[in-house]
Amino acid sequence: MPPASRRIDLAAVRALAPPLLAYWSLAHGAFGSWDRIAVGLNRATPYALTGVGIALCFRARVINIGGEGQLALGGLAATWVALHMVPAPRPIATLCALGGGVLAGAAWAGLAAGIRLKRGVHEVLATLLLNFVGLLIVSEVLQGDLGEPGSGFPQSPLLPAASWLGRLVRGTDLHVGVLIALAAVAVGHVALWRTPFGFRLRILGASAPAAAYAGISPARALMSVMLLSGGLAGLAGAIEVLGVHYRLIDGFAHGFGFNAVAIALLGGLNPLAVLPAGLFFGFLETGAVAMQRAVGVPTPLVAVIQGLTMVFVLSAMGLTAGRRRV
Amino acid sequence: MTEFLAATIRIATPLVFTALGGILSERAGVFAVGLEGMMLAGAFAGVITAFLSGSMLAGVAASVLGGAAMAALAAVATTRFRAEQMVTGLAVNILAVGLTSFLLRGLLGHGEAPTIRVSPLAAMPVPGLASLPVLGPVLFSQPVLTYVALAAAVAIYVFLVRTRPGLTLRAVGENPAAAFAGGADPLRVRMLAVTCGGALAGVGGAVLSLQQVGTFTDAMTNGRGYLALAAIIVGRWMPFGTLLACLLFGAADALQLRVQGLRLPVSSYVIQMTPYVVSLAMLAGFGRTAQLPAAIGTAFARDRPSS
Amino acid sequence: MLRMLGITKSYGSVRANRGIDLVVPPRTILGLLGENGSGKTTLMNVLFGLVRPDAGTITFKERPLADHTPREALAAGIGMIHQHFMLVPAMTVTENVMLGWDAAGRWLRPAAVAEHIRTASHRYGLDLEPDARVGALPLGGQQRVEIVKAILRGAELLILDEPTSNLSPPEVSGLLDVLRRLRDEGRSVIFISHKLGEVLAVCDEVVVLRDGAVAGRARAADTDRAKLARMMVDRDVSAPIAREEGAAGAERLVVADLVASDATGVERLGGVSFSVRSGEVLAVAGVDGNGQAELVDVIAGLRRPTRGHVFVDGADVTARGVTGRRQAGLAHIPADRHTTGLVGDMTVSENLAFRDCDGPPFRRGPWLDFGAMRAAATERIARFGIRAGGPDVAARTLSGGNQQKLVLARELTRRPGVLVAAQPTRGLDPGATRFVIDEVLAVRASGGAVLYVSTELEEALVVADRIAVMYRGRFAGVMRRDAVDITRLGLMMAGALSESPDAAALYGRKAR
Repeated sequence: MPPASRRIDLAAVRALAPPLLAYWSLAHGAFGSWDRIAVGLNRATPYALTGVGIALCFRARVINIGGEGQLALGGLAATWVALHMVPAPRPIATLCALGGGVLAGAAWAGLAAGIRLKRGVHEVLATLLLNFVGLLIVSEVLQGDLGEPGSGFPQSPLLPAASWLGRLVRGTDLHVGVLIALAAVAVGHVALWRTPFGFRLRILGASAPAAAYAGISPARALMSVMLLSGGLAGLAGAIEVLGVHYRLIDGFAHGFGFNAVAIALLGGLNPLAVLPAGLFFGFLETGAVAMQRAVGVPTPLVAVIQGLTMVFVLSAMGLTAGRRRV
Repeated sequence: MTEFLAATIRIATPLVFTALGGILSERAGVFAVGLEGMMLAGAFAGVITAFLSGSMLAGVAASVLGGAAMAALAAVATTRFRAEQMVTGLAVNILAVGLTSFLLRGLLGHGEAPTIRVSPLAAMPVPGLASLPVLGPVLFSQPVLTYVALAAAVAIYVFLVRTRPGLTLRAVGENPAAAFAGGADPLRVRMLAVTCGGALAGVGGAVLSLQQVGTFTDAMTNGRGYLALAAIIVGRWMPFGTLLACLLFGAADALQLRVQGLRLPVSSYVIQMTPYVVSLAMLAGFGRTAQLPAAIGTAFARDRPSS
Repeated sequence: MLRMLGITKSYGSVRANRGIDLVVPPRTILGLLGENGSGKTTLMNVLFGLVRPDAGTITFKERPLADHTPREALAAGIGMIHQHFMLVPAMTVTENVMLGWDAAGRWLRPAAVAEHIRTASHRYGLDLEPDARVGALPLGGQQRVEIVKAILRGAELLILDEPTSNLSPPEVSGLLDVLRRLRDEGRSVIFISHKLGEVLAVCDEVVVLRDGAVAGRARAADTDRAKLARMMVDRDVSAPIAREEGAAGAERLVVADLVASDATGVERLGGVSFSVRSGEVLAVAGVDGNGQAELVDVIAGLRRPTRGHVFVDGADVTARGVTGRRQAGLAHIPADRHTTGLVGDMTVSENLAFRDCDGPPFRRGPWLDFGAMRAAATERIARFGIRAGGPDVAARTLSGGNQQKLVLARELTRRPGVLVAAQPTRGLDPGATRFVIDEVLAVRASGGAVLYVSTELEEALVVADRIAVMYRGRFAGVMRRDAVDITRLGLMMAGALSESPDAAALYGRKAR
């Protein structure tokens, strides 16, 4: 990287001037070829999965921001299962590994929920602090048992092919996880709007006194929704490991947790809307790389857009609290 | 050992500024989850300004503005628009990472990531005191911002406990209705508290970029903002307790840097975990979060009870 | 010192104050007596500047007071001690006093302020430790912090709004002593209350409000409880609405020795036992804050009692929670329809179903049966005459009366064996009120047992077969409707009949 000159060079900023070119290269980078679309969809998958869980949590006024740690531990569990189930055949190994991921994520979220219920620690603080602990656990394990000695990078050995997630479309990177995400979105939507469980969550989120009057137990709701969202995050982590990287890589979970909160909010806490929001983020990120190459607009612009969008959505939600569809 | 202690204080300095800023925000009733972003914004603004202008002082001033600007965004959103505090903090963090990296490339690097080099602030030994045994190198041979940090802790304490504005700020965080009945404007107080807190966090970022490394790299705060939050919890929302907590965390960081050489049975990652685990244990140990400012996280509206 | 003449204030169609005159001389404790809705609070809000009157003048210390804010009232020397304290529990007494007090300066001098607090505390018998944390003080202590705040800010007229509602008996006598010392030092006090014993014990003069106007004035020395009680509740005891008279049947709701505390741990229910029979309405009257809310919450399952049992049709439902009680046939109309009884943002059909979403007919297997919900909603909208755009409009778009009809529709459709109705006509116009009363009587006619808790004495008298009065967490007495003695009722509501024999010692003066 060249040392920077002392004069501010507005050339790159001026490069934003032909916005049409920038948008076009963004769109092209996102949708330009089947390959690109596949990558975008892959990226959207963990976003959508984690986002659905967080949306359900927020609906019940439970704030779970530990998605990244839950996702990372899910990937860790999936790796461990995959590595230890060597002789198992194709679908079984994958399913077991995915299951391990779900359990690990759910357990980690359940731990935070337990601390909240038993010791009164606000779930935001509990999930946030456990988040970092979870990420550090993954780093630690990669240094030791699951690490691949000899590679210069903290990562696990390559997972046995029997555990890999199958490809959805041959010749592309698109993996079956996309279908799982779609299923999760559908199930989340149905659960929220059509089952007594979802009804109870919505009442709890709308009015705590009314929920008590209806005989709803806030403790039970908190634990169930945390386990659910933790399980979804863990599943997302397992999918990333089994479908994208085929090994556990230190830092693979980076950004998913907090971005998933953004996505849940963007989707207005509706599981169905989380899907387009997740796609938006996913394609934004893949397109940005191409945009940088073509027009020189740096990729971090994506994070700027994400952050600003969140702030505006949150402000709008704060203003209209009490007038939204509950 | 002396070297270890001196390193502890050095490493803790950015945490101290950031945590003090967080105390202002949290004591006024606003969760300081956005500290990470405010710190990063300050780090960026500081080093860029110092690089372009050649003046460290201008850099520090810019870091104040950078942190405050980021904080102002969160402040307005959470007080005027009653946006959810924690998640807005997260948004600010995401925004800051993107904005700083974007501007770095856009303004100076022709679209690519440049390397900026600024000579970091050197240690400023206090004449006379620096030659004391042990205390000399540990306490009195630190760079200037470290001295400022320690002074800031005292200043914040005095402010909170001994001045009228500080009393009002604390009241707003505990019972905004009572503060309102006493003539204060809780929304205004909160906005000011968050913004000033952000300014302090910005200086914390400047410590990172100007005093410690002399450059800016993407997301260089690397979770220190959240660590500061943990320090506030361990320090029970009081300046001196938080200072101690920051030193503790600094020691943990200094320790894990040396662990390879020492061949301890404990891995560096486990040491890195301790601040978070300790905070969680402290929160859980106190049963109900009794030490938290009572009205934190709630929105205040004149005609309605706090929700 | 204070002269309020012709104060008139209306809120819409409700005339809260109708040309009230009030004169408070210096060195006087004046008692302002009245039930809920008599206009006491409005009058004091007018005085303190929280509310602007439609007509009338106020003169304080020879100077007119008009269009003023609470800050101006404070500056003029009027201090108000509200029922709900404006204190910061985590801070010390000194810090709370310094809050909002400009005279304390920019750089706080807690030692100096503490000294002031000690002096005032000594002078008025307040017994306050400046370094104590307010949250750790008993409610009586917190009240005295509010008093010392007012004194140090130079208040010469203190208004205390229902000051003894949260105090234990020794704290009450302590407060009355403080008030006497304030008076002896030259200040005046307006003592708002519904409790005759206290008013007679400490006040020099008494003014009784009823229905927004002055019902009587007297010097405390020249009157007695019976006269004051009569002034407080005197009304036309007309015949109740035509209803079926029949012998009441078996006991359907039995409450045994209920003891409960409120959210802050203060005991509010001190051992209540009663039963309600099939075909009977037991009305619980009394001024708000005497334990009615806790009684309803415990019976309905929203609060756990410290002691005692609740039986519905013979089954012990005490530990069963809300759902268990519902299954046992207990219906509950909560006092607050906005936050508890309904979810404003949900639709009418959802509101009709939200207490019953776990079984038939609204649940089919793992799914909610929206069709059934909507059908039930349509049917009930018709049957109860609810004016709503349809089953799919949000509940908050309905008017107050229609919202209450919604709550009734939900609770009454299942033909409850026991109905607990808490302030069911609060905020309703006469038409809606009549509707509610008719429905309650219909439950009675079909054999249900009704517990009807209301601060509106008229209503209670119309609906009840028996009427009980709650005072300080206990039943002060129960009367049959056809044998009701208005004076006795008033005395019970004002705490004059449930006094223990050592009331004299309590109030420091001869009790009448």
